[in-house]
Amino acid sequence: MARASTTQRKIVVTVIAWIIALAIFFPILWTILTSFKTEADAIAIPPKFLNFTWTLDNYITVQERSDYFRHFMNSVIISLGSTVLALIVAIPAAWSMAFVPGKRTKDILMWMLSTKMMPAVGVLIPIYLIFRDWGLLDSRTGLIIVLMLMNLPIVVWMLYTYFKEIPGEILEAARMDGASLGKEILYVLTPMAVPGIASTLLLNIILAWNEAFWTLNLTTSNAAPLSTFIASYSSPEGLFYAKLSAASTMAIAPILILGWFSQKQLVRGLTFGAVK
Amino acid sequence: MATQASRAAGRLMISPAVIVLFLWMIVPLGMTIYFSFLRYNLLIPGDHAFAGFENYQFFFTDPNFWPALINTLLLVGGVLLITTVGGILLALLLDQPMFGQGIVRVLVIAPFFVMPTVSALVWKNMFMNPVNGIFGWLANVFGVPPYDFLSQAPLLSIILIVAWQWLPFATLILLTALQSLDSEQLEAAEMDGAGPFSRFFHIMLPHLSRAATVVILIQTIFLLSIFAEILVTTNGGPGNASTNLTYLVYSQSLLQYDVGLGSAGGIVAVILANIVAIFLMRMIGKNLEA
Repeated sequence: MARASTTQRKIVVTVIAWIIALAIFFPILWTILTSFKTEADAIAIPPKFLNFTWTLDNYITVQERSDYFRHFMNSVIISLGSTVLALIVAIPAAWSMAFVPGKRTKDILMWMLSTKMMPAVGVLIPIYLIFRDWGLLDSRTGLIIVLMLMNLPIVVWMLYTYFKEIPGEILEAARMDGASLGKEILYVLTPMAVPGIASTLLLNIILAWNEAFWTLNLTTSNAAPLSTFIASYSSPEGLFYAKLSAASTMAIAPILILGWFSQKQLVRGLTFGAVK
Repeated sequence: MATQASRAAGRLMISPAVIVLFLWMIVPLGMTIYFSFLRYNLLIPGDHAFAGFENYQFFFTDPNFWPALINTLLLVGGVLLITTVGGILLALLLDQPMFGQGIVRVLVIAPFFVMPTVSALVWKNMFMNPVNGIFGWLANVFGVPPYDFLSQAPLLSIILIVAWQWLPFATLILLTALQSLDSEQLEAAEMDGAGPFSRFFHIMLPHLSRAATVVILIQTIFLLSIFAEILVTTNGGPGNASTNLTYLVYSQSLLQYDVGLGSAGGIVAVILANIVAIFLMRMIGKNLEA
């Protein structure tokens, strides 16, 4: 009796949860479906859910007309570049704060966090003018630097919370066995730190890929990553639903896949370790 | 037990991060403050005379300022309301045993990974467009006149779009917190005869309050700076109906080239964000000691 009611309850919960989940996911599903339609089918009323002629034309047109691949590569280079650069600066910092904490470590961490609280619009004008004077407007280099600086506090924090979990006794044991600092880092710490570094890398790529304040303000065409490129569809061109959908699908697919892998790290990274 | 040498090495390892962040925060912010006291327009060449508080005075008396401030607060408040309440309900639902839990979770989280320009344009064109959008079609099916969301209720439409993006974030964090709840405590309460509602209000909700606070504070930081969604849907309009502070500063500085006025606006935005930031920092700082 009790078992039957739990099963019943489970079925009811399953049905409700699936309906809500599909409703939340629907805009994404709809975008993906529309990307395979002809423009006529894309605006058909009533909407065609599956009963349309599937075509890849939109993907081909988007690439041919607007050199889509270049913007895609800009996104890849900018998000990867800014992430790697941030890791190079952040790993030593997080490392020393986790393993050789000083009196001011906590203050430094909090101060780094506070830089993240500054709204971008507060520094938009100086950055814009500096970039203009140095010829960095619409350049990938400029964007890599800005996104690296923007995400650096999150990177340091995430790495710090991961490094903190590596037990210090292991280091002492290695030291007792006569390992030098270099060997200690290479053979003892690095293997233990790799998962944390990988998660940080993943989350930061996602954040950089989707960034849409600096990319929109600092790039126009040459260095424009996908977030800027897609914004160009806000002109009447956006009325070509199927092409908008094809461009959008390609822009979100890589990050959807990466994101699903990094659900757990996302919580940790975005709450600065306050929720694990 | 750190030795002197290792402390020095430690300092050396921290310094690059500290220096670049310091430059990133202090130099441009200092420049913004400096510009905000100048009569400085990119279209008017020549030297930039000291203007005192003139820019601030212009900014606060700009007819767009109060609407922008109110829009900012409505945008933040509206999205917070939807995502926090919706997030708690969704987290409670997803915490129940069900078939295909993993897939349900993945579907619910997905909107968070969609870049803002894509989600805004997809909603604007394929859903909210009164002629070709899904909502227009639904309105026809139910025999009501189609509603032009972005021109008749621009701010509400943007709130809905942004809430769709942030609901997964709130859900994910609240769900994580919920799963860390001691199940024995709940079982004990159930044995003692506590019904589902009293269990929710006396055990779950207090347990969730910390995570909910974090959700609210972090979202506020991001929501104060909403920009892309406004740029690609309404351009702040019609009129100033969907202009928030970030968008107002953008339009004053990069569209009207008034560096001085835009800088004053930027500083106002920084102050507003800092008020929130102080609370957030305290919460996270407390956690550091634990």
